[in-house]
Amino acid sequence: MAEKLARILYVEDETDIQTVAKLALETLGGFSVQICSSGNEALQRAPEFRPHLILLDVMMPGMDGPTTLHKLRELPQFVLTPVVFMTAKAQPAEIAGYKDIGAVDVIPKPFDPMTLSNQVQVIWERFHG
Amino acid sequence: MVDPSDLQKKLKELSDAYAAQLPEKLDQINRAWKQLPDNNWDDEYFQTLHRMVHSLTGSGKTFGFALLSEVARSLEEFLKKIVQTKQLPDEEQRKCVQVLLSELYQVSIRRDTSIAESSGLAAVEPLSCGGVNPKLVFVVEKDPVLTEELKVQLGYFGYDVVTFNNLDNFCKAMESHPNVLVLMDIDFPKNSREGIQTIKKIQQERDVPVPVVFLTAHVEFEARLEAVRAGGMAYMNKPVNIGNLIDKLDSLTSTLPSAPYRVLIVDDSEALTAYYAAILEQAGMVVKSVNNPLNVMATLLEFTPDLILLDIYMPECNGMELAKVIRQLDTFVSIPVVFLSAESDIDKQMLAMELGGDDFLTKPIQPEHLIASVSSRIQRSLILRSFMVRDSLTGLLNHTAIKDQLDREVAQTKRRGTPLSFAMIDIDHFKQVNDTHGHPAGDRVIKSLSRLLKQRLRETDMVGRYGGEEFAVILSNTDGETAQKVLDVIRQDFSQLRHLADGTEFFTTFSCGIADVSFFGDATKLCDAADRLLYKAKQAGRNQVVLGHAPPISGSDFT
Repeated sequence: MAEKLARILYVEDETDIQTVAKLALETLGGFSVQICSSGNEALQRAPEFRPHLILLDVMMPGMDGPTTLHKLRELPQFVLTPVVFMTAKAQPAEIAGYKDIGAVDVIPKPFDPMTLSNQVQVIWERFHG
Repeated sequence: MVDPSDLQKKLKELSDAYAAQLPEKLDQINRAWKQLPDNNWDDEYFQTLHRMVHSLTGSGKTFGFALLSEVARSLEEFLKKIVQTKQLPDEEQRKCVQVLLSELYQVSIRRDTSIAESSGLAAVEPLSCGGVNPKLVFVVEKDPVLTEELKVQLGYFGYDVVTFNNLDNFCKAMESHPNVLVLMDIDFPKNSREGIQTIKKIQQERDVPVPVVFLTAHVEFEARLEAVRAGGMAYMNKPVNIGNLIDKLDSLTSTLPSAPYRVLIVDDSEALTAYYAAILEQAGMVVKSVNNPLNVMATLLEFTPDLILLDIYMPECNGMELAKVIRQLDTFVSIPVVFLSAESDIDKQMLAMELGGDDFLTKPIQPEHLIASVSSRIQRSLILRSFMVRDSLTGLLNHTAIKDQLDREVAQTKRRGTPLSFAMIDIDHFKQVNDTHGHPAGDRVIKSLSRLLKQRLRETDMVGRYGGEEFAVILSNTDGETAQKVLDVIRQDFSQLRHLADGTEFFTTFSCGIADVSFFGDATKLCDAADRLLYKAKQAGRNQVVLGHAPPISGSDFT
């Protein structure tokens, strides 16, 4: 039986999106959410927060989503942690590309705050299903 | 776990904040585009521009600006093509970007009707219910007589009143009370509009404006205008008409119970019903699923849904047959039935509607679409239903509805062995009120009693307008003696209520008869007994509550 999804690390550089995602995931999903504003911050905070799942914005200044994923995978405790990309580029070919580099799924942006936590939960269950 | 109104409020705030930042963001993009270096290709500069637009694409819809997301996406695609060539845009391309930029400005003011509506939340909110329910009222008024009067009168309608005769104390109290209603006098010794100015200051420091009703002797338009600008929800001239004031306060706080919508899903696929149920539950509805259509009847009667979602093709019995059967039950004649099916043949859809369906949704359906269809159907049907069962003047149950309700309640208490009391109330000398003060004044008296009853009784109690000035109350789980105590307090308070008509004040009283279900076999006998007891109260001098002590068998006490 899979562990219950409780802690989500969300890496996103834009503060307004951070706020609405955190609100949606916490209020509707009941998850505990740690926000990181950059890939670097994510790499620093992840070991202590021990997320069950990581949401990664693809396009960020500095270290982008794919690079952050790559570096996370170098940390032994995050070799298997499911990572979901959040992106406005959600063409099928692009989605396939993200999955190739190790994302379990892609949530297209702009997301609907009302369904976000459900989307995440479904991905989590499918990942463990 | 989730308080929908709270979440909705927060989302609205976030959307407001996003909207406020939009002009600046667009200006930044516009400036960046205008200052594009035109001598040689600057990759980094162009990437930055691209990222700013990309950010709008990825956020607009989340905050209720769906169109903005779309236009930004077109612009982004276009910029991406330019980036790939690593060539400065030519004349043609520049024109295109210009057009898209100006379109971006145009759609930036096009907020989706409501961020909550698009996600189905608004619909979850029952009719005209505000969600917040502050019952604390701050009265700021320099006239001590009026202050005391307001305190007493508002108290009768269940409001807790704190009075202030000084603006400084009021401001201090406001800091620690986010959820109050304010009744504000405008004219204070220092300045004839000081009340408005104080409110203005307070509103500026708040994210959510405090609801304010201004009370004033000022009649000039400028004062009204200033009051509106300070965020006043209402403006009432002195002398204050308490009835109007309470109406206002009630509408600002809304005391309607917030019952969630109930949906019954009938579909033979367990996976699908679970999926639909999850979507609707997330929107705050209560959902029950039935996978075998033959089991529908029992669930239907027990669950009493507001809407039925029916799959068309099921083994044993198809959705259309089922709709027909449901429609033949009196209780469910008006319930909305929505078909859900992969059937896209329009003729088949029409046939389904003829057999009793109200709507046809084609699978697969978008979650938002499902929520929106279901909730708008329910909302409309509840409004229609309320026309059928509600009295138009008071909003109470009408004669037929309260009698139906009494039948149901009595049957239930007999089954469960729980207590129940039924009360009949009649306003004393009501004809005199109409004759002396006119019918509008009479209507206001009726309204004020109905409000008092609704506010004082529990949500589980049912109040109906039985006829002209006659009311009926079903107090569930309450024996006769308790009911008598409750209604006697209401009687005393009602007799203290000051009614106004053309500047003159008057008071009215009511008489009440109460019968306890344990003495009577059915609803009709119970109802007759309450009626006789009411007559007894009138005979004994009015303005009193009479409880029947009938011997269990004969009931001869009443003859």
